[in-house]
Amino acid sequence: MFESALTVMIFLPIVAGALILLCPAKGAARITGFFVSLIVLMMGVQLFIDFDGQAGMQFVYNTPWIPSLGINFGLGVDGISLLVLLTSAVLFPLVFCVLKEQSRAFYANLLLCQGAMLGAICATDLVVFYIFWEIMLVPIFFTIGIYGGPRRLPATLKITIYTIAGSLLMLVGIIYVANCYHQQFGVWTFDMARLSGLSLSGGFAGWAFLMFMIAFAIKIPIFPFHTWLPDAYTEAPPATSFVLSAIMAKIGVYGMIRFVLPFFAPEFISWATFFLFLGIIGMIYCGIAAIGQKDIKRMLAFSSASHMGVIAIGVCAMNVQSLTGSLFQIAAHATSTGVLFLFVGLMEERLKTRNIDALGGLAYRAPIFATFFAVAMLASVGLPGTSGFIGEFLIILGTVKYSMFLGLLTGFTLIVGVCYMLWMFQRVFYEKESETSAHFTDLTVGEAFSFLPVMIIIFVMGIFPQLFISKIEPAVQQQIAQLYAPAQQQVVANEISVTDK
Amino acid sequence: MEHTVNYLVCIPLLPLAGAFVLGMMHMFTCKNPLPEKLYSFLAMLGPLGSLIFTLIVFATLREMPAESRYLTQDLFTWFSAGDLHVDMGLFADPLSTLFLLFVTFIGSLIHIYSIGYMAGEENYGKYFAYFNLFLGSMLILVLGSGPVVMFIGWEAVGLCSYLLISFYTKERDNVLAGNKAFIVNRVGDLGFVLGVAVLFWGLHSSLGGAGFDYLNIKASAATLTGGAGLAVCLLLFIGATGKSAQIPLYVWLPDAMAGPTPVSALIHAATMVTAGVYMVARFSFLYASFPLAGDVVAWVGILTALLAAIIGCFQRDIKKILAYSTVSQLGYMFAGVGVAAYSAGIFHVFTHSFFKALLFLGAGSVIYALHHEQDIWKMGGLKKKMPLTWIVMVVGALALAGFPPFAGFFSKDEILFMALAKGHWMIWLIGVCVAGLTAFYSFRLIFLVFHGEPRDQKSYEKAHEPPPVMTIPLIILAIGATFAGFFNLPAFFAGDSMVSTWLAPSLLEHHSEASRITEGVAMVLSIAVVLLGIFYAWKKFAFKPEDKPLIGFAKWAEDKFYVDEFYDAFIVQPWIAFGRTISNFIEPNIVDLPAQGTAWLYGVLGMLFKVFQAGYVRVYAIYMVIGLSLMSIFLSQSL
Amino acid sequence: MIEDYLVLSVILFCIGILGVISRRNVFTVLMSIELMLNAANLAFVAFARLNETMDGQILAMMVIAVAAAEAALGLAVIILLHRQKGRLDSNVFSLLKG
Repeated sequence: MFESALTVMIFLPIVAGALILLCPAKGAARITGFFVSLIVLMMGVQLFIDFDGQAGMQFVYNTPWIPSLGINFGLGVDGISLLVLLTSAVLFPLVFCVLKEQSRAFYANLLLCQGAMLGAICATDLVVFYIFWEIMLVPIFFTIGIYGGPRRLPATLKITIYTIAGSLLMLVGIIYVANCYHQQFGVWTFDMARLSGLSLSGGFAGWAFLMFMIAFAIKIPIFPFHTWLPDAYTEAPPATSFVLSAIMAKIGVYGMIRFVLPFFAPEFISWATFFLFLGIIGMIYCGIAAIGQKDIKRMLAFSSASHMGVIAIGVCAMNVQSLTGSLFQIAAHATSTGVLFLFVGLMEERLKTRNIDALGGLAYRAPIFATFFAVAMLASVGLPGTSGFIGEFLIILGTVKYSMFLGLLTGFTLIVGVCYMLWMFQRVFYEKESETSAHFTDLTVGEAFSFLPVMIIIFVMGIFPQLFISKIEPAVQQQIAQLYAPAQQQVVANEISVTDK
Repeated sequence: MEHTVNYLVCIPLLPLAGAFVLGMMHMFTCKNPLPEKLYSFLAMLGPLGSLIFTLIVFATLREMPAESRYLTQDLFTWFSAGDLHVDMGLFADPLSTLFLLFVTFIGSLIHIYSIGYMAGEENYGKYFAYFNLFLGSMLILVLGSGPVVMFIGWEAVGLCSYLLISFYTKERDNVLAGNKAFIVNRVGDLGFVLGVAVLFWGLHSSLGGAGFDYLNIKASAATLTGGAGLAVCLLLFIGATGKSAQIPLYVWLPDAMAGPTPVSALIHAATMVTAGVYMVARFSFLYASFPLAGDVVAWVGILTALLAAIIGCFQRDIKKILAYSTVSQLGYMFAGVGVAAYSAGIFHVFTHSFFKALLFLGAGSVIYALHHEQDIWKMGGLKKKMPLTWIVMVVGALALAGFPPFAGFFSKDEILFMALAKGHWMIWLIGVCVAGLTAFYSFRLIFLVFHGEPRDQKSYEKAHEPPPVMTIPLIILAIGATFAGFFNLPAFFAGDSMVSTWLAPSLLEHHSEASRITEGVAMVLSIAVVLLGIFYAWKKFAFKPEDKPLIGFAKWAEDKFYVDEFYDAFIVQPWIAFGRTISNFIEPNIVDLPAQGTAWLYGVLGMLFKVFQAGYVRVYAIYMVIGLSLMSIFLSQSL
Repeated sequence: MIEDYLVLSVILFCIGILGVISRRNVFTVLMSIELMLNAANLAFVAFARLNETMDGQILAMMVIAVAAAEAALGLAVIILLHRQKGRLDSNVFSLLKG
């Protein structure tokens, strides 16, 4: 059980989450949660250091779970999941450090959420993935529903029903894929690697493809499945908004790359332009929508959706550069927009408002806060030298290869983001100080030191991205090669591996 | 020959380190600022250090044989995905060294000037932190080993420009001007990024995974096909129009004058805005092989020059006049590089940086003396109060107007003559007209500010020469503006075209020879036009100028032909309105419809079925009985 | 004969059902349920006799045990209900109404 670091990383937070409820006080729960997430962080970093870019699936843990159906409890990490895993392991301690204290159940939920997300990221078996994918939603349901803003109930219902509807479609898809394998080889299996070679297309496979796509499109979200997002992000407590935008949305992209690309390669190739276009529409539409918002958090919600559109574009353009860009951007976006959610949370805690019109001149009272905010904002608009640039550049570059025209449209992300961000920054941090802003205090030493690592990460990712890209790029190469490889070969390769066993 | 050195990185790193230190110091001591002397001292270290290293680079390059004159420094692999391989590296060849020289030199001078200009201002430390950051970014832009590394500097100077334009953040208009600059530049950057992307895909097979830097691009540029090559040139040029304020993206530069005057001098006149010209010259090997792209560049340039010069003739704000003059001169530079006279264009960048920085700093001294009065119709007669400023401003204006032997004459005339020699006689003709306009508006400024009677007695009384820390840079720049032209004395004057010869290895240039007689006639003609412009300005403004409201065409020109209003009405406002519509109408009523529809459907079904839920236990018992009876009947039937 | 026992059982069962459906007093409803259980018991025992096995007897014993438990629990619930509303009219308890 404990021979793989992954099992510990997944179950430590879940178990700790249950135990935290027994803590005598809120403070103790928070500290426990913080240390648990710190342990997970250290394990994540260690895992990243030990990870070998060339070696495929690593840290594998596999044990039969329901043998009659060929379901294994399988975990592993490869280049595709590495950065998503790292993001969810590394950024989590932040939510325990900076925001005001909540009840024990809140921290328990956060820990459960982390465990479930790590599980979904590491799962190499479709059933295990599905289970963690669904568990992920439970803490979100509770944290928004109990600790959210005034309109939390409709928001909770919307996100829950939307996501569950998608997940159930995916469940049908999963069963279909496994059934196809069963018909072809007479063996039940939900093992991702073995199912990957199927390259299904035609007939019901088209529907199954769409089922998977809709499930992930809702989670990401891709236009027009995004309507749960503004409400949920706005009403959620800051920590949950952070988790949703920084990590959970990325698992949708990850799922698309991990499952849809290999299972339905021909279908994906023929639908790619359509989804790419949806990504572009979403990127521009949400970017424009962000301009019209008065609530900073809602603006960030739309901004996040806009960026997720760009990430989805990168996946749909289907070449090494764009896919690497998307995977890199997954981590980069968490350090920029994700962290902005926490900053806005801090702002709301101090001023009791998120209305842009009521703010102004924060930079004069809080230079450190303003500087940190500006760094995260510039990273989110993709300034070179910060984390945001590399991903966006690679995605645009890759999309230009896919189609010049679509590349041009994708490039609009450079303009769209900067419009609403600068305008917001002007009205919140510059101009004359408003009455509300006069109560603002700068970051405390503790808060400043909590955010400092993220600021450093933003620059490290911008200046030394090769540290990360060198570990994920071989896996991306392989994924792309497999995508375009004729299906027959794959099936033969699988047959051999089946007969071996 | 060893081309790899390890000190190139110091050139951008020193100012960047300075920016970091100053920024930290300022951030943590906002409430009770440190002494200004400390900031001034620290702020000077970076630019001067870079200047020294630049001189070392220059000396090293001079030792090398002309055809292989370059230095490189590879730092690390920045990123690589698939065939794309981008190294973080620096590259100094004659072209970038020329830029390094004047950027660090003028940068240092303006740092010194700022010490006087900004004295006693709030946020003194922040100003110098941004200034150092700008200098470092500009040096990255110039030194970058490839287009992607250059893009770091390209965007970072845009950021600094934004920060410095909106430096007085309490005024809404300043911040809006900053936003405008950043956003308009971003439009250009879109072109740049796409250009780089198309360039990469055009070359990736011949690059074969080698580093995506200038040396490799140049080596494989021949494989670029016609369409792609043209697209690359035009897209990159869109980037240049953003950064260097050309039609249609020039609108940000006049507004950028909201920043402190030394900022306008350094960023928006001498250095950053010339980045576009640098980039076109850097890719001269592409533009030279696609003459159509070159023509577009030249025509956009010369039309911008004309438009901005016309607008400049009718402005009232001293800095706005200089801003439009900058746009106009940048247009000349693009006309130069567009007609494939790259060294002439770059030489104009070089001389322009001297005299325009001089004019801005001189204007800064006037503004400083008059306590932030910028309207030239409220000045006048300052010659007596500020003789030194008057002299340097006249030198600057003569250089700007292109009067021999001041710097502007040689560089501008070179451009015009090259246009003529390469057969673009229309461009030459427009260029000569613009020269006349330039002479007119620059002397209109001189006469209105320094001659005649003081029109605002109160501020006139208080006017005085600025302190030496400001005048010494002015004098140095005036000397530069006078003599910089001699660096590239053409063969016509028995010179040896030093700058052109120096730049030759970096640029792909074919010299066209025209007869000496043509050159002489063209030169005399342009001098005559310049004299005409000065004379007309003298006649109209030197004695008793009347500040009457403008009408007709002049009114149009004073209002900048309503281009800003046009952009506002057709791009900005619809954009914002669309944003509001989305959040108020489209989002809740249209996109959310499927979700709401589903919810509504469940509601209706619930209404229907709730009839059966009486709530009385016995009613449920009846249902059970009925159900059981039906089941029994069914079972007995099937048995 | 077996038919007689079964007819009696059905009659008892129907009386029970009618009681459950038509009476509004919760107490009567509970008694009617007991009646239905006993009807089932009668049928079990009759079949046990017919087939000459002990299965039916055992089931009948089980039902009696369950009925006793149910009576105890049911009476407790009825007392609680009475405490809450002060009445035993089953129409008062209609929380499930849609």
